[in-house]
Amino acid sequence: MQYNSFTKEEWDKTLEHLLLSYTIFASIENEFGQDYELIRPADIARISYNKPKPATSLKSFFLPVKENVTSERVDEKPRIILGIPNCDIEGLCLLDQIYLDKEFNDIFYRKRRENTILISSDCFGIQEYCHCLSYGIKPYSSKNADLAVINLDGKIVLKIITGKGEDFIKKIPTARSLEDKSVISVIEKEQLATETLLATSNKGLPDYKKTGKLVSEAKAEIWEKYSARCVSCGACTTICPTCTCFLLIDKPGFEKVKQMDACQYPGFERVAGGEDALFELHNRFRNRYMCKYVWKPGKFSSLACTGCGRCIEACIGKINKNEIFMELAK
Amino acid sequence: MLNDKNIYKPIRAKLTDVIDESQLIKTFVLVPEDKFSFKTGQFIELSVDGIGEAPFTPSSSPLVTEKLEITVMKTGYVTEYMHMLKPGVYMGIRGPYGRGYPIESFFGKEVLILGGGCGLAPIRSLLYALEGIKDKLVKVILCYGSKTPADCIYKPLFDRLNSTEKFEAYRTVDKADENWNGSVGVATTLLNKIKINIENSVAVVCGPPIMMKFGTIRLLELGYKDDQIYLSMEKNMSCGLGKCGHCMMGEFFVCKDGPVFTYDEIKHNPEIWK
Repeated sequence: MQYNSFTKEEWDKTLEHLLLSYTIFASIENEFGQDYELIRPADIARISYNKPKPATSLKSFFLPVKENVTSERVDEKPRIILGIPNCDIEGLCLLDQIYLDKEFNDIFYRKRRENTILISSDCFGIQEYCHCLSYGIKPYSSKNADLAVINLDGKIVLKIITGKGEDFIKKIPTARSLEDKSVISVIEKEQLATETLLATSNKGLPDYKKTGKLVSEAKAEIWEKYSARCVSCGACTTICPTCTCFLLIDKPGFEKVKQMDACQYPGFERVAGGEDALFELHNRFRNRYMCKYVWKPGKFSSLACTGCGRCIEACIGKINKNEIFMELAK
Repeated sequence: MLNDKNIYKPIRAKLTDVIDESQLIKTFVLVPEDKFSFKTGQFIELSVDGIGEAPFTPSSSPLVTEKLEITVMKTGYVTEYMHMLKPGVYMGIRGPYGRGYPIESFFGKEVLILGGGCGLAPIRSLLYALEGIKDKLVKVILCYGSKTPADCIYKPLFDRLNSTEKFEAYRTVDKADENWNGSVGVATTLLNKIKINIENSVAVVCGPPIMMKFGTIRLLELGYKDDQIYLSMEKNMSCGLGKCGHCMMGEFFVCKDGPVFTYDEIKHNPEIWK
C-alpha cells in the first residue's frame, strides 16, 4: 500500500486549490453532530478527520431522494467526498452490484460514481451503536475507497487504494511519498485501538453469518413484539447505506421520476387487485430483516448490513436491532 | 463494458386497436415506434402517459414483431385509465424484461398448460410460440378455467386449437349459466379428463395466485416432479430491472430472475404463495 503525506497546512491549501475543479463534500462537526457539508474555502479548516461517522449515509450522494430519470443531463463538476467511514464504503459495494449490473446499468448512478473520488477516513473511536466489526468490516478502508485519509497531529497521511486514487494523487503537485514509515505503525495502533473498542462494545452480538439463520428461524412473536413500537416512518431504510428500493412515478410526456421508497411503508407490495403480502406491520418489519440478512446475502456478494448502527439512532420508536439479535442469539 | 442506454426511458407505441374481450378485459394492439421483440413469457412495462406504468406479459405471438397485443383486466388505477384509451393515442413501452418460457427445453415432450382467469393472456402467446415449433413437440394440452362463461376470453382460440394437429383445449367454469353445457369446477378438475404421459411432460401454470398454488399441489399429486412445473409468478413491480425491490420474492427479483420459474427453483421459499 502506498502512502503520501502533507502537512495540515499544505493539505488545506491543496483542498482550496481542488475546489477550483471539484465540488467537495466533507464531514464536519456542527452543533447537531457530524455530517457531510458542501465545502467552501472558509470551511476547509473545519473539516473533521477520523471521527465516526456522518449522520447521513453515503448513498444519498448517488441515489437522490427524487430525480427525473428521463430528462437529459448536463455534465456535472467532478466531486470529492471526504471523510467516508468504511461501513459506508462497503455499503456502496452493494449499490454498485445493483445499479452497475451488466444487463441493466443505471446511467445516472454510474455517471455520479465515475465522477466521484471517494476519500475514506479511518475511524479512530466509535459511536454508541457502531458494530461494523461484528460483520467483518474493519473501521478503516483498505480496498473499496479510492483513498483513505488520516490526520495525525497536524500531519495528513493519504493511503492510496485504487488506480483511480493513484491517478488523482498524481495530479496533486504537493503530494509526496511518506518517508517516515514509523507513522504507519502509529496508524495501525490507532486502528487496533478502535477494533478493541468495537469488540468490547459489541460483545455477544452474532456475526453476519449467524444473523441469516437467526432471522429466518425467528418466530412471529419476535417480529410482533419489536414492531409494536414501529410507526412505519421508514427512517431506518432512508438512513440505511444499503437500502435502495425506489418507485417510478409517471409524469406527462412519458417522463419518469425515480423516488426512494421503503418496504416499511404500507402498500409497498400491494398489487392492483388489492392483495398485499406485507399488509401487516410485523410482516413489513420482518421483511427488512429478511432482506438484509437472508435474501440479499443469498443473491449478492456484498453485505446488506454494514453495522453502521444508523437505523438504531434514527428510530423514533427506539427499536434497537442489536437488542433483537442479542435476544435471538440467546 | 456497460452500455449507455437509459433503462428507465420508454419507447413510444401507437395504440392501433382496442378489442373488447369481456366486461373487464380488453386487448390493446400496439405498434412500437422502434424495433421491438420479445420471447414468450417475458413481460413489458406499459405506461399510460402521465398516469402510471404496470407490468404485462404480451398475449400476442413472439414471432410477430411489427405489433404486439397486451390483454388487460381492469383492476386498479392504471388499468382503469387504460380501459378509457381509444385507438390513435400513444403509450409507453419498456422491456422486454425477465426470463420467459424455455420452450427449447420442451422439445420432444408433451406440454400441459393449466390456466385460469386472465392468465390466459400470457398462455395465448405461449400457444402461438408452441404452434411455431409443433413439429418438435409430442402434444400440447390446454386446461383453462374461468369464473363464468362470460369471463372466458379468446373464445375462438379453443376451437382453433382443437382443430390444430397435436393440440387439445379444455374449458371449465366455476359457475355455469343457462347456456353452458360444458364442465363445471375449478381448472384443476380438468386434469382428471386428460391423457398425458407425465414422465415425458412439462406443466405450465399461469393464473391467479390461489390457482397457481392449488394447481401446483395437484400436479405434484399426479406425479409431476418439481422441476417439470413452470410457474409464472406475479408481484408488484415498478422498475422491471431488478433494482426497485418491489417484486422481491425471497432472494429472487421476480422481474429479472423470473417471472417464469420452475417450482423446484422457488419451492424452498415460503413467500411464494403470499
